[in-house]
Amino acid sequence: MTYNFAFLDEDTKRMLRRALLKAVAIPGYQVPFGSREMPLPYGWGTGGIQVTAALLGPDDVLKVIDQGADDTTNAVNIRRFFARVAGVATTEHTVDATLIQTRHRIPETSLREDQILVFQVPEPEPLRTLEPREAETRTLHALADYGLMHVKLYEDIAQYGHIATSYDYPVLVDGRYLTSPSPIPKFDNPKMDQSPALMLFGAGREKRLYAIPPYTSVESLAFEDHPFEIQRWEHHCELCGSRESYLDEVVVDDRGSRMFVCSDTDFCSGRRAEAQA
Amino acid sequence: MLAAFANPVFDSQRTFRELLQAMARPAVPRLLPVLPPSPAPIAPAAMAILLTLCDATTSVWLQQPDDNVVRHVRFHAGVKLAEQPLDADFALITDPLSMPPLDAFARGDMRYPDRSASLIVQVTALGASPCAQGEAGRGSLTLASTQARATPPQPSPASRGGSRFAGPGIRDTETVAIDGLPHDFWQQRAALAAQLPLGIDLYFVAAQHVVALPRTTRLLES
Repeated sequence: MTYNFAFLDEDTKRMLRRALLKAVAIPGYQVPFGSREMPLPYGWGTGGIQVTAALLGPDDVLKVIDQGADDTTNAVNIRRFFARVAGVATTEHTVDATLIQTRHRIPETSLREDQILVFQVPEPEPLRTLEPREAETRTLHALADYGLMHVKLYEDIAQYGHIATSYDYPVLVDGRYLTSPSPIPKFDNPKMDQSPALMLFGAGREKRLYAIPPYTSVESLAFEDHPFEIQRWEHHCELCGSRESYLDEVVVDDRGSRMFVCSDTDFCSGRRAEAQA
Repeated sequence: MLAAFANPVFDSQRTFRELLQAMARPAVPRLLPVLPPSPAPIAPAAMAILLTLCDATTSVWLQQPDDNVVRHVRFHAGVKLAEQPLDADFALITDPLSMPPLDAFARGDMRYPDRSASLIVQVTALGASPCAQGEAGRGSLTLASTQARATPPQPSPASRGGSRFAGPGIRDTETVAIDGLPHDFWQQRAALAAQLPLGIDLYFVAAQHVVALPRTTRLLES
């Protein structure tokens, strides 16, 4: 059986492309789109996959990561899917990729202007847990009324003494739209500000896509007396020794021993290869 | 009847990627990779954009809807033609000097600012900023940014200095000359800026180049 190039039919790709261009023109605004049924369930990256399918060309080199890793189920499956339906080259090396689809991380290696980062997004609406009605959140965005979110962050401080949100930390894009950075750790938020690479976001189940253009202001919400801070570790990566990357805590045996390792597998293996050379 | 893209799937994909980069990096000229045949007065570059983005679900307003043009666009893209500029998702401006005012086009509504028109404007020339002419403007951001502007920019053939822009997608500022627009065009566009995030997104084409100006791009000086 053969598929159209990159699985989706041309009408669907055109619809996605028009929506993507409007998304880039209105940074941080969620554009509705006709999300299609994909050969994997909602919640497995169907939004990101549809965005990637609309972008992909025969010359692209695709990298897919899941929580920073190239070798986890979701990443391997999506990479194989596009290798099969588009015949594109794939890579695990951030520097070799033209297109990177990601679930919940931004690579540690700085991205370039000629790369595009595609995020898989479960819930594109940052206000959803505070206001369940779509009609109401649209109005709040129209009025740029983001008091609800500030109150939520303030309540965190009142209750825990600090802002307890550690992932999917809300950002203000170009000083206008409150936007979900997708469930990336807040450690990655600063990488979005003035990024050289274009960032596109697809939410398949919620049928929304949005974009953050390159060189655009992305501000993580905070208060003057409680400035935004990223996670820090007392540990370093036990495999490559990195002190500046995002670390995963891994249980390694039945007695509860733990080790800390880089979540970005390409970054970690690159550093180990360098150390050996 | 003229042909369209020789290879519709890949030609439109390559064109889209240039349009996406053009929209993401406003005021930087990009080279369109494929120019399909087009009936006058439609420029091949404008035809490439129509074929890439328009189909039976989009309405297109043609400034000069000659029979020949209408037949060509309907046959190859299957578009609905809009009677009024206000009803258009896309508008093709083939003679900018006699174009309708910008506020004649849809600007979206506050809940759905994406329901706004995209204009494809055929201009007489797009003066790339001096360093943007190689390789479709790729990498020109660094060179054309304000740090490099300490040395006076050399005027490119089409430009008489050009206009300076800033906004999302532009590091510092970007300079480009867009020739052949009505004299009050920039005033009209500046008036729309007060309504952000409502607005109109523009694709300027000349020869093989495209320059995009999303609604968020501000004109600093011309």
